[in-house]
Amino acid sequence: MKQNADKSSLHYDQSAASPARTTTPLFRASLSLVLINGDVIVFFSHLGYVVAPIIRMERLTKRFGNLAAVDHLSLEIEEGEILGLLGPNGAGKTTAILMLATVIKPTEGTAHVGDYDIRKQPDKVRGLLGICFQEPKMLWVSTPWDIVNWHAKVCGIPTAERKKRVKDVLEAVEMWEARHKTVHALSGGMRKRVEMAKVLIQKPKIAIVDEPTAQIDIVGKHKIWNMLCEMRDEGSTIILATNELYEADVLSDRVGIIHKGKLLICDTPKKLKDSIVGGDIIDIQLENDAQPKVVEQLKGFKEVVKVLQIKPSNLRLYLNKVEEVVPRIMNSLMKSNVPITSVHMSEPSLDDVFAHYTGLTIEEAQKSGEKS
Amino acid sequence: MNKILLVVERDVRLFFQYKFLIIMRAIWFVSQIALFGLIASRMISVPNVDYFRYYVAGLSIMTLYSAAIFIGFDIYEEAEHGVFEYLLSLPVSRRQLVLGRSIGGGLRSFIYVGPLIALSLYVIGTVNPLNFLVSLFALFLFAFGVSGFSITMAVTIKSSDRFDILMGVLDALIVRLSTAMYPLAIVQATNPLYGSVASLNPVTFASDLFRWGTNIITLDNPLLPLLGIIAFFSFFTFVGIIIYDRRIEGGGWQ
Repeated sequence: MKQNADKSSLHYDQSAASPARTTTPLFRASLSLVLINGDVIVFFSHLGYVVAPIIRMERLTKRFGNLAAVDHLSLEIEEGEILGLLGPNGAGKTTAILMLATVIKPTEGTAHVGDYDIRKQPDKVRGLLGICFQEPKMLWVSTPWDIVNWHAKVCGIPTAERKKRVKDVLEAVEMWEARHKTVHALSGGMRKRVEMAKVLIQKPKIAIVDEPTAQIDIVGKHKIWNMLCEMRDEGSTIILATNELYEADVLSDRVGIIHKGKLLICDTPKKLKDSIVGGDIIDIQLENDAQPKVVEQLKGFKEVVKVLQIKPSNLRLYLNKVEEVVPRIMNSLMKSNVPITSVHMSEPSLDDVFAHYTGLTIEEAQKSGEKS
Repeated sequence: MNKILLVVERDVRLFFQYKFLIIMRAIWFVSQIALFGLIASRMISVPNVDYFRYYVAGLSIMTLYSAAIFIGFDIYEEAEHGVFEYLLSLPVSRRQLVLGRSIGGGLRSFIYVGPLIALSLYVIGTVNPLNFLVSLFALFLFAFGVSGFSITMAVTIKSSDRFDILMGVLDALIVRLSTAMYPLAIVQATNPLYGSVASLNPVTFASDLFRWGTNIITLDNPLLPLLGIIAFFSFFTFVGIIIYDRRIEGGGWQ
């Protein structure tokens, strides 16, 4: 799914979360060397400029009374990426989205969408955006066909093309059969699919999807995930607000963790997981009992943070960069004539990352958010 | 302009989705003519006035008023269902949205009342074509004015309960303190205060002009009620737009 996964690691670092990051265009070229009949052929697989980010939030803040729903949010989003905004309900994701969409005004700070300031050119900003809201926004007397068809009209899709696309999109979200039913007669999942259909038909430059698979069954979730990836592959930039860890992990090129209105960190899922010191775990089952020198040998790897002897022949290692270090550990043990029965690796999930940065699991954060 | 028309189209289509409401109101309209109008006109005697025709004309205006006021309830429902956020996120400017809604609210009520007015014309009988066209134009502006008035109320009052109560009270007062159902002279004779209010009421202006256009009454100066309707339309269309615009920008709809 993550075809662009490496892209963000090329030209993004954690300083992207800082407003001070430069947006000056940089020259970028990617080279490929290929041997054909003994000759080295050089391909410029990509040549061009790294342009300014398509969205730039600068200390974006929204207060409701004394509560800062979004607190000085600074973040840059690059064209063509899926950025996951991960946080529990009440974290400030939807408020941030509504500000970007110019639905509500920021209390402080601003954001640039494309070349436009959300405060100064809201009409232009809205022309670039398409939104799938968390709660489907439709009146109960409307029908899916009316909703999607009118949305397509407002978004300027020509009549001839529109009729075909309405059908295609409603079929894609499996709502064609129910196109003339009123919203009142639709299930929560069906309403959500109609909401999603609005973004799909619009094919906006920037799609904002707020919990797109909430209330949708697992088969439907996969379909929507595929649709989002297709949209990204066709050139849309996608902001995915979610509280589903797996969804954020499999879809996002980068994930921003947001809690109590603040952006705590933003990076690729892999880098986020790697950022937890000793976050990876491997369990090594030896044929024989582990000798103290073996334990010391393992502790000698700089990536290994801790070694526990769970059983005489079973060692648990807490370490970083598991993919890189495990082959070396295996080689080292084999060279030392320490026979291995099995190795089990597990890497931290985004839940672990969330817990690492907030001190709470996402469920705990959700509960504390609901209480406050 | 195209975007305004799309907003208008949405409001018109939406109104006609409320099929049961429309059918019920149409049945109410017909029964008011066929039952109440016929029966009540036998016991009411007003000098120089055929009360049945007088009542049917007034009923058309009351129906137009209640259809035009409906846009405010739509706006409330949209706020409750979050549809407002959706509308605000569209590639449509705030001005286009507000103007479109105001026009849509008036137009849909006019479309709805059109067949009912045709029915009432059949009952009323002869019309003066020129006067009738002028009165139709006045009714058009009246519908837009009521729509703007309803939007203004909907975005000014934050509680839906309060809005329902206020609109109920206003509906009762505005319609009853007008000449929709009885001539001004009788209202005046009942209570001079009632008469003063009724003489400045836009429902009175609309009712009188429609009766003038359908030859039910004569007016010394039809320009006065016409100017009254233009003033009502201008005030509530433009004030409604300004207030709606400010509420939207300030997040007052939340």
